Amino acid sequence: MRGLTKEYVLQRFLMYLLTIWLGSTLIFVIPRLAPGDPVSEMVGRLSLDAGYIENADKLIASWKARFGLDAPIHVQYFRYWGNVFRLNFGYSLSHFPTEAWSMVSRALPWSLGLLTVSTVLSFSIGVTVGSLMGWRRTPRWLQMILPSSLAFTAIPYFMFGIMLIYLVAFELDWLPATGAYSRRVDPGWNLPFIKNMLSHAILPVVSIVLTSMGGWALGMRGLMISVNNEDYFLLAQVKGLSPARIFFRYGVRNAILPALTALALGLGGLISGSILVEFIFAYPGTGYTLYQAIISQDYTVTQAIANLIILVTATSVFLLDLLYPFIDPRITYKRTMR
Amino acid sequence: MAVGQRTPEDASAPAQGWGLNTWDSPWLNFKFLLGAGIVLLILLFGLVGPFFWDTDLAYTGAGPLNKPPVWAEGGLPEHPLGTESNGRDMLAQLILATPSSLKVGFLAAIIGMGIGMALGSVAGYVGGWWDHVIRTLSDSAVTIPALVVLVVIASYVQMTDTTAMALILALFAWPGPTRLVRSQVLTLRERSYVRMAHLSGASALEIMFVEMLPNMLPWLAASLTGGISAAILGATGLEVLGLGPTRVPSLGLIINQATTNAALVRGLVWWWLPPIIILMIIFVGFFLMTIGLDEIANPRIRQFSSTRRERTAAGELPPVEPIEDGTAGEEEAALEVDDLHVHYFTPRGEVIAANGVDFSVRKGEILGLVGESGCGKTTVAMAILQVVQPPGRIVQGAVRIEDRDLVSLSGRELRQVRWRDLALVPQGAMNSLNPVTPIREQMADAILAHENIGRVELEQRILNLLNDVGLPERVIDMFPHELSGGMKQRVCIAMSIALNPQVIIADEPTSALDVVVQRVVAQTLLEVKERLGVSMVMIGHDMGLQAQLVDRIAVMYAGNLVEVAPVESAFAGPLHPYTQLLIESIPSIRERKPLNVTEGLTHDLRDPPPGCIFQFRCKHVERICRERRPELVEREDDHLVACWLYEPERHALIELEEA
Ligand code: SF4
Repeated sequence: MRGLTKEYVLQRFLMYLLTIWLGSTLIFVIPRLAPGDPVSEMVGRLSLDAGYIENADKLIASWKARFGLDAPIHVQYFRYWGNVFRLNFGYSLSHFPTEAWSMVSRALPWSLGLLTVSTVLSFSIGVTVGSLMGWRRTPRWLQMILPSSLAFTAIPYFMFGIMLIYLVAFELDWLPATGAYSRRVDPGWNLPFIKNMLSHAILPVVSIVLTSMGGWALGMRGLMISVNNEDYFLLAQVKGLSPARIFFRYGVRNAILPALTALALGLGGLISGSILVEFIFAYPGTGYTLYQAIISQDYTVTQAIANLIILVTATSVFLLDLLYPFIDPRITYKRTMR
Repeated sequence: MAVGQRTPEDASAPAQGWGLNTWDSPWLNFKFLLGAGIVLLILLFGLVGPFFWDTDLAYTGAGPLNKPPVWAEGGLPEHPLGTESNGRDMLAQLILATPSSLKVGFLAAIIGMGIGMALGSVAGYVGGWWDHVIRTLSDSAVTIPALVVLVVIASYVQMTDTTAMALILALFAWPGPTRLVRSQVLTLRERSYVRMAHLSGASALEIMFVEMLPNMLPWLAASLTGGISAAILGATGLEVLGLGPTRVPSLGLIINQATTNAALVRGLVWWWLPPIIILMIIFVGFFLMTIGLDEIANPRIRQFSSTRRERTAAGELPPVEPIEDGTAGEEEAALEVDDLHVHYFTPRGEVIAANGVDFSVRKGEILGLVGESGCGKTTVAMAILQVVQPPGRIVQGAVRIEDRDLVSLSGRELRQVRWRDLALVPQGAMNSLNPVTPIREQMADAILAHENIGRVELEQRILNLLNDVGLPERVIDMFPHELSGGMKQRVCIAMSIALNPQVIIADEPTSALDVVVQRVVAQTLLEVKERLGVSMVMIGHDMGLQAQLVDRIAVMYAGNLVEVAPVESAFAGPLHPYTQLLIESIPSIRERKPLNVTEGLTHDLRDPPPGCIFQFRCKHVERICRERRPELVEREDDHLVACWLYEPERHALIELEEA
């Protein structure tokens, strides 16, 4: 009855597939609903640049054939799905002999590193701050200074990033402004490289953490206030438990569940935000690669990255989903009751 | 969440009072108003700007290149905020860009809200298959990283204007409102007034708009302001990446042009900073509105902040005045409550929830504390346990166990006394056990907080306790949700006797249970009491149950004790008119029923009348009753009553006063 049940895992897995399907289908369908098609559009833009292109019609037709855009839409759709499942997106248009997938996989570790570190930091700091803010027994001096950590909450990550670049990198010249590492160090497991890499990561991480932790803090504060009013919280007090035990075992322990749900729901937003952060910092992760693919009109890479990001997000949400029943035994119980 | 009963009813139900008194309206939330003001100012800047400044200057070649603002060296008065690398005037650009950024946000969020309200109410109201589909779709759509999909779409679809952009953004603006409306409809559907409307034949649409919408309003508004800023963020994101409409000026586009022209490295601060500042002001404005609306929607958060503010404003709490032990203690008293006053400091005045409550519980007896809901009996229980919730406070009085006044104990001393000497069988055991920890842990931590014992012994103790209340041993590893209501209540009883306390407060221990289970639980309580010789305060409104369980009974009305008597004489010869009313209202002792004498309270708890608090409902009211409060006096053997009827000298007293 407790822990993971088959129904629960199955249900979450179906949800997982649905999310991927929904995201990928949006990417597939909406461009095709729009007037025009990417190839004509591209050729059109080329001819604008070059003034005139000979045999533009033939060019369009051959390119269409090449990308399978001449097939009926449902055939295209199934082909597209086959590709998504095999993670086979064809060749990059702008870096021709390179496969789209290999460009993506080169970018992925940078993004994963940046996002994991900043999410873990902002979530744990935010939850700690929020728990203390929503607890009646928090010392008053702490209650006074905690709200200051919310100062940057409303500001989008990338705007804060621009200001940090200007202040810390250009004006003060303390940290590097852009990139993931300098050209002068050799990539690999050596100390200079690692140091260099970390110094490049500080500003992007800081801009995400400082602007996103306030949201977690506010959410957690509200949850703690609700828990504060629960009957079991009161009974814990009456039992004569120490404040620390009440805080952790009856307060945070119970309030963290919805906060984790919020984390799963907020992951998409976080990833969206980090695309812009990568763009601003020219950080060579998936977001930056996506941007570059788009300005060079590299449709295969664009699709590959977009699908990959959707896949990674959905996977993280799925993993978080699998974690819940271990924290809250009620989740799977309710499912089995139905 | 049975929280309401902790505070007097009228203090804890502000939700219905909305808008009755304009100056008291929760919409007058400082953060909300400040945020709304900020957003309005920015909007005004965009709307009024064109009348004061020539917006044609926003186009390429309108002025000299890269001029700094007028206050910097080299600035020109024709271009107060400077120009950028294409000679465009910054002020004119900002004036044009600001309203278009706001417009996208409003449009997308309103479309999303519309879709969300339609889908959410269908899901919540119709339920079934529809609910399943809509919920699954919105749950999964909400996790998709919107900007990624937007970026891909924008790279294919040339967006020519802001409306197209808003339509595409709306694709991601509906799941949030849908989820919100669905859960709100589900919650509200269970509320009594909605049920009533349903029974009286109102149509679904009517119920939705007349009964539900007003109640959802603050939530919807918070979701809308959150949605607007999310949409502005999405639009700005696309624009910054250069994927927005390129012919219409927008704040994101200015940032895009600045960054792609290396404005940061070239030190052209006036190019990239102003659009960022305006955007930040917009986001801060919407953020303030959103959290303000959250506070409006969720009174608990509001209350939390306001009690905090109150406390900091007033400095340290005034110490409760200690009471000289005048009565020198009744012989054999296990618990003495001495002149207890509890007030709730609500924004609308001080609610007097307990007014000089004075009684004692003798060793080994059960004292019943009865009264209608809202009479203050639960407040008294909470005050005995020293857990009166803010904004309530014990303002005067003492609670003594073995001559130690709990009110004046320090936190640490109090923790030692708690549970060891004074335990609680809570009301509504449903919510009194922590839902996410097994029973073992919850019983263990009560024991381990007071005693140092090994694991084996601990386990044995817990098993014995479960045994004592007639529960099987396997309960030890179960979670609260796996137990029935009666079992949970017995777990609570087992827990309360874990340390063999002197006094147990049983707060309506059998309410919310069905009749058969009630009997079992009551039986368990009695057995435990007989075996351990513990003293008990049994709080309740069920006179019939009280008659069967308690030794003495104390009747409370509107925060005051009106009668304290042995149970036999209280039932055979009740003295106070209110007690008489209570007893008359029981059809038969055998048939237990909650009190239903209520015409409700007839006075405002914030402003009790002088004289007897029962005067408005009393048949025997006399002049003295209106002028002087009757004291609780022993009129028969061990039978105390607060009523002038039993004072033979009352006429003389009032004449004396006049003289
Ligand atoms: S004091 Fe007067 S009003 Fe109050 S209960 Fe007695 S008779 Fe009634």
